[in-house]
Amino acid sequence: MTPMSFLGIPARWIIAFFALFHTSVASLAIGIAFIVMVAQIIGYRKRIYRYDLFAKRTQLFQVCIYNVGTINAIGFVFVLSGLFPQFWVHLMNNFFWPFVVEEFLFLLLAITLTFHYFFWEKLWGHKKMHILIGSMLIPFFFLQVYIINAIGGFMLTPGYEEAEASLRVGILGYDFKSFYNPSLLMLQFHRTFANISYAGFFMAGWCGVRLYFTKIKERKEYYEDCGRLSFNIAFTALLSLPVIGYFYSHVLKTDASEAFWNIMLGRGDVIVAGVDMWWLKHIFVAAMLGASISYFIRMSRSQAAFSLPGVMVYAISGFYLMFYMAMGMIMTWSFFFWMLVIAVGSGLLVQHLLSYHKGSGRAVFLYMGIAAFLTVILGGWAREAGRPRFVDRIANYDDVYVPQERQRYLYQDISPEEIAKLPVTPPTPGAAQLIQKHCARCHSLDRMRGYNRNDWERVVNVMRIYGTRLTDDEAAQITKHLAEGKSY
Amino acid sequence: MDLPIILTPFFPRYIWMEEVIYSHISIATIITAFLVLAPILEYIGWKRQDLRWDRLARSLVFFVMILYSPGAALGTGIPVFIIGLYPEFWARWSNLFFWPLIIQFIFFTIDVVFLFFFYYLPWDRMMNRKRLHIFFGGCTALFALLIQAVWDGAGSYTLTPGAPFPNATEAVGWSAAAFFNPSYPYLFFHRFFGNISYTMLLVGGVFALKYLRNKKNSEKKYYGWASDVTFSIGFLAFFAMPLIGWGYAKIIQSKAPVAFHAIMGGHVSAFFMAKMGLIILFLSIGSVYLFKRHRDKVPLLVAVTLAFGGLYLVLSLHPALDWLGNASYWRVAYSVLILGFLAWLWYLRKQGKPITEHRWPWFLFIAGMAAFFTFALGGFVRERSKSPYTVYLQHEKPETKQEERDRFLVYNKCVGCHHINVKDILKLENINWNERVATERRRPGVDLTDEETARIIRYLEEHSP
Repeated sequence: MTPMSFLGIPARWIIAFFALFHTSVASLAIGIAFIVMVAQIIGYRKRIYRYDLFAKRTQLFQVCIYNVGTINAIGFVFVLSGLFPQFWVHLMNNFFWPFVVEEFLFLLLAITLTFHYFFWEKLWGHKKMHILIGSMLIPFFFLQVYIINAIGGFMLTPGYEEAEASLRVGILGYDFKSFYNPSLLMLQFHRTFANISYAGFFMAGWCGVRLYFTKIKERKEYYEDCGRLSFNIAFTALLSLPVIGYFYSHVLKTDASEAFWNIMLGRGDVIVAGVDMWWLKHIFVAAMLGASISYFIRMSRSQAAFSLPGVMVYAISGFYLMFYMAMGMIMTWSFFFWMLVIAVGSGLLVQHLLSYHKGSGRAVFLYMGIAAFLTVILGGWAREAGRPRFVDRIANYDDVYVPQERQRYLYQDISPEEIAKLPVTPPTPGAAQLIQKHCARCHSLDRMRGYNRNDWERVVNVMRIYGTRLTDDEAAQITKHLAEGKSY
Repeated sequence: MDLPIILTPFFPRYIWMEEVIYSHISIATIITAFLVLAPILEYIGWKRQDLRWDRLARSLVFFVMILYSPGAALGTGIPVFIIGLYPEFWARWSNLFFWPLIIQFIFFTIDVVFLFFFYYLPWDRMMNRKRLHIFFGGCTALFALLIQAVWDGAGSYTLTPGAPFPNATEAVGWSAAAFFNPSYPYLFFHRFFGNISYTMLLVGGVFALKYLRNKKNSEKKYYGWASDVTFSIGFLAFFAMPLIGWGYAKIIQSKAPVAFHAIMGGHVSAFFMAKMGLIILFLSIGSVYLFKRHRDKVPLLVAVTLAFGGLYLVLSLHPALDWLGNASYWRVAYSVLILGFLAWLWYLRKQGKPITEHRWPWFLFIAGMAAFFTFALGGFVRERSKSPYTVYLQHEKPETKQEERDRFLVYNKCVGCHHINVKDILKLENINWNERVATERRRPGVDLTDEETARIIRYLEEHSP
């Protein structure tokens, strides 16, 4: 299948925009569901109405962004269909039944979420049931993300030994080993806690914004308290992330070593405009850790609601100091010292902001909300950019795609066993076949029309630097073919 | 494109597809109709300084808010199912309509922003800025209609393709001829008025039941009024449908003749007639209701009478009505029925008391449900009429049976020349089809290969008495 061209913009930028837009919205979902549940429980147990009000307003926000995220997902599907048609159709075929289950969960979530928010007052006399309904969102979101993570994890660590996504084995539409791929579990843990943390800091940031515009004393107290609650939840979730991240990278080192080294050494698309996106993410993470610890040290002295005991904060600081030291030993000492400097600097900044705003956390909340958002964006970018440009581990990927010769099979009911016996028509030999095989993986062949014939040697070399796997012989064949102006 | 067929459990693939699509379409049509009407009702309320209209508009939008998330979730299920179950169709169709789909996504995003952040949530805060609020409501409605417009273009293409269905190897992205295909305007307007009609009739019925069940006097009064307003809107909006539908049928007859024959006397005609029966049901109930309830509003009753006149005109011009039997008898029959019914309505309006009985809400609800099923059958009839094609004459369903192909051939080659509809052929008894088809084959202008002849004979032998 020939991919579409999106107004001359590289396809991966379009996909990156849609994916990051969707991720930044959808990632809030599970975290917000958790915050809503906690706030409702606190409000119910302590009989303090403001926490229930906060839960309700947070849930309203969830209702609003849920639709934006859903619509963006639809756009994402359309864009993938147009820009990466072969990849997308094959992926959908391999994960059809997981997608169906995920769709069912999606619908269940939409109904539960809508019911939970719009019947808030009607279920006032049945608070426990109402809280239970709201809490059901958490396992539903967890399961939904689980399925998406299986697909995302598959793209990075496709499976054990030889890849099973050959469309020739297993139940059509589902592949066990593709689904339970090596990085699924770590990605699931990482995303669950990261999403809770991100949502918490995001809601805290929202409270911070409202604090800037609110003049009424009771409302200020409301936003300060609820911001601190969100901050507390977010910080608790954040603490797990460096540890989970360590084990996640361990899996990548074993099962996606090229991606691992791309990330660690800063190769390929991990670098954008000279900036290492993975390093930048870690700078933000260190800044967030330092800022959070500094904030809770200050709060522990004032004994505000949802603050942490000072002893606990110092213990956490000590633990993470040791953790980063261990990372410094594994990676580089430069990593350790820079993270320490940033964490301390961020902590000092927080102290200044708290003092400047007379103990109000408004600026800190806002700062952390922005930092959390950027961390989510950068994390997703680093993972995707670290992966080589093509999903190389799918066996028979190129053998399957031979468009004209095999279309007749589409109209027959074929069992998986029969497909394996079908003859594979060999593709057209020569340089044209190499171009179709290697070049069309990442971009449309239309994009090759604008180059000067004398320029092809340079262009092919650049493509090899970007990750296209060509032997010297193949590169020479392609260069010669294109330099002679032959068709492909 | 080499992809194996995914086998679905319990039901064939097309059943799964139909269920997913139906579940989404019923929600999407309600949302579109409600969003179009809400700002209009709000405007009327603002001009008349009558808060009932504002409350009615707001309740419609509230219902939209409840439905939006589940509707969007079901909407994402449609491409998931199509891509997995019909990958070649999706690859080619999304290729052809890539840019409309992207633009539709943009419209959708804008619509959500307007609906949530500018229309529904600030309703109370903008009570003193009604004009601006109504404007935002209008913007929401506009983008909802634009979304519908895009999907109607892409959907109508499958029945009357204005351009070739591209291969997956050609990157097309956009085709004006495909998008603005012959049946597009008819489908759009048919759906526009159809959505308003069936949703308002249904809502009228639901409000009528709420009137019945409510104990508080003020609430009873409101729901009685709301039921009347919405039911009347739905009833009156219906009368655009026969006129648009007639034009739609003409274009289908011209551009997709086999689909036309399938509806008019063919394998889908039973469902089409069921739809007509449901229409007669809710028209009857609605007419009696309006004439009894608004007995003194003569302009309204005259409008209803003229609307029936339009319906009568369509029936008179509708050539395919002949398939029911002898044309003259049927023309006399429906003339007597319609004119007689109108006369009876005018007589009835002054008989007895105006409507206050508690039984009437149930009749309105029945009319509303009849309208809903009419809408459901409409899409069903349209999609089944193209069988065995997904895209008419250009892309066959993968699970097509030989019998369906033969049926298409019979409709295509036999119906329309000397027979008006396929039932005329199939009711012929004791015919030696070998001889009959051989005779027809010798007529000038009949172009049949030996293979086609054999298939036609086989089909006729299997399906005639």
